[in-house]
Amino acid sequence: MKRIRKLLVIFMVFALVFSLAGCGGGGNEGEGEADTINVGALFNLTGGQASLDQPSFNGFKLAADEINANGGINGKMIKVVSYDGKTEQTTVANNAKKMIDVDKCVVVAGLSDSNYALAAGNICQEKGIPFITSGATLPTLPDQVGDFAFLAPFGDNVQAYATADFAIDDLGLKKCYLLTDQSMEFTKTLAHFFKERYLEKGGEIVLEDSYMNKDPDFSAQIDRFLADKGGAEIIFISGVPDDAGVVVKQFRDKGVDLPIISGDGFDTPLLIEVAGEAANDVYVGTHASLENQDPMVVEFIEAYTEAYGNPPENAFAGLGYDTMYLIADALSRASDPTDPIAIRDAIGETVGLKGVTGTVTYENGSHVPTKSVTINKVEDGKFVFIKEVFL
Amino acid sequence: MRLRDSNLFKFFIFVLIPLIVLIICGMNSTNYYAGLVHLFGINIILVASLNLVNGFSGMFSMGHAAFMAIGAYASALLTLETNQKMTSMSGLPEWLMNLTLPFPIALLIGGFIASFCALIVGFPVLRFKGHYLAVATIGFIVIVRAVLDNEDQWTNGARGVTGLPNYASTWIIFASAILCLFILHRLLNSAYGRSLIAMRDDYVAAQTLGINLTVCKISSFCISAFMAGVAGGLWGHMQSVISGKFFYIEASFKIVETSIIGGMASLSGAIVGSLIMTFIPELLAPLETGITVFGIQLPELYGASNLILAALLILIIIYRRQGIMGYNEIITDSLFSIKTYTSILKKSEYINLYTILINMPKKLISTFAAASKTDAVKNKKRKERRSKNEKNS
Repeated sequence: MKRIRKLLVIFMVFALVFSLAGCGGGGNEGEGEADTINVGALFNLTGGQASLDQPSFNGFKLAADEINANGGINGKMIKVVSYDGKTEQTTVANNAKKMIDVDKCVVVAGLSDSNYALAAGNICQEKGIPFITSGATLPTLPDQVGDFAFLAPFGDNVQAYATADFAIDDLGLKKCYLLTDQSMEFTKTLAHFFKERYLEKGGEIVLEDSYMNKDPDFSAQIDRFLADKGGAEIIFISGVPDDAGVVVKQFRDKGVDLPIISGDGFDTPLLIEVAGEAANDVYVGTHASLENQDPMVVEFIEAYTEAYGNPPENAFAGLGYDTMYLIADALSRASDPTDPIAIRDAIGETVGLKGVTGTVTYENGSHVPTKSVTINKVEDGKFVFIKEVFL
Repeated sequence: MRLRDSNLFKFFIFVLIPLIVLIICGMNSTNYYAGLVHLFGINIILVASLNLVNGFSGMFSMGHAAFMAIGAYASALLTLETNQKMTSMSGLPEWLMNLTLPFPIALLIGGFIASFCALIVGFPVLRFKGHYLAVATIGFIVIVRAVLDNEDQWTNGARGVTGLPNYASTWIIFASAILCLFILHRLLNSAYGRSLIAMRDDYVAAQTLGINLTVCKISSFCISAFMAGVAGGLWGHMQSVISGKFFYIEASFKIVETSIIGGMASLSGAIVGSLIMTFIPELLAPLETGITVFGIQLPELYGASNLILAALLILIIIYRRQGIMGYNEIITDSLFSIKTYTSILKKSEYINLYTILINMPKKLISTFAAASKTDAVKNKKRKERRSKNEKNS
């Protein structure tokens, strides 16, 4: 008896699950009409990438809602199809396939990490569907994947070049101490490109040193630096959010008050929370500034706050938002908004599309946009907008 | 005779239906659903080979992701074109640079390298027992990850290797899966398999019977690593992108979880576990995106499928510690038994199946009736006892 009862319970649970799943499937089919365009939003909403991808996804949805409220694209509504990538490559790749095969998405966008973007990009390339990564900054991604892959943000080389230009042209500081996190691809690439541009511009790297991500103590590096400063005027730290506050604070505590500069890895509230006063005089090259008084940025922040109850968590919210507008712009210009090849060509021809995170132009057939880099400076515990650098 | 004893029934369920599904998948191999079936096949190899170590030999290894990584990188290295290797693996010696092998050979070599690594790691690590071994094998994953991320000239660092040719077709995946299952099935039913099981159940008794524990442990670890390496190679060529990040602790946990859900000491359990872990998240996906049930729009619940799977794992550990299949081997036994295949030619089998199916509703009703009767009797007795107790008090 007990056994039969157990079996019945199991059976009923399964029946429930199946019927729920069935309902979902039915709902989707009903909506797949000719006057909607399905756009795939592939983000890692749970797992290690969630802190970057969730704001991005929120921004993406916000933009889609705005576009639909304004009458859609040539009368067609945008339907955002989204699945959770779970920060697992297999799930990301499978969901990319699902968006294309099952939901008939004409464009797939999303993801803030190069490795996941490569996995999804390859699937899209194979199936001939345009793929735009909203947050991955690997400049060689389109070369590795193929002609259907695009970057919405600038590449690592651009932010490195912009910070190098800013250090020499605007600050006039030509002797640099370079400190690199050796444990990550992003930080290694960033340091490489910074050095290349800085030397090209007549600067001089007086000393180089390295550390590993999540090192708790930097005194060895700082002592080495203090022993032989070599006349350094500025410090470039190629690092990621979790180290940002710690490394800056320890330098300041040892009496180093030179200006510090870094890339978008330092664009994190953690920098100010951890370092406090010590974070002053740190420059950060990133995608956008929430301080920017540009009406577009102000409106975006207002709309985001209204929709989600809090201001954008970081620049990735803006990147998601801009990616959706980038897609919408291409769809409205494409000769046939259901033909992936026409859409790909339209994306490639994007010129001067203004967004929250700068202006997107794909030049000379490149699939990495030439985008402006925003330089922010920490002043009295706040990121203050300094300059937009155009390359 | 019960339904599950009918050879013809087994033939339909375990041979014919899967075969039809595979043929359909093989014909539309780029389709999304075919992709899921491919993943299912690879999961079978991974979980079945892990079961050899964890379920049958009584060790507890968590290092499967590392062996997958070794297999995947080795087969990538052997199948990529020279110009692809120039850009992503610039530090290779010249003979390796120009070497491009057919996929099955590359897979086998990947497996051999993985099992060679298992041999080296096995000697020191297999002295540990239980959770010490689990921690040591996790350490092995960390080492492999560190090497993959930092030896840029061979592995392209954390960027990973891209552009692996899509060789992992339905046929090769399932041919490997069936072959692995067959090898494991034969091994476990041989003297060698029995000695593994003896070692698991009581290693002192096994030693007194003359079983060399070291040889048993290391050999089963190596066989398991070989199959994990092959599965890693298949996985890499299915995904076409590999990097150290994806062969990390989470991947290992997932394989162990699948093995526990299906049943650690059963090859059929590996199949059932993989089936559940591959397709249930798929069924639950609509729940996450906020579906409409009876006109009510549910909120988006990202992560819901993870929670449900976690709850399933907890329930299984509480109520059925041996996993869904326990020690049952019905699937592999019927797959690899000639009786299953000859049954389609025998008239008596058809008659048997027919009578079982005809009697099924009757049997169900009678068991229900009997059950409710005994239930009623039990309830009556319970009531009587209660009233007696009340009177006494």
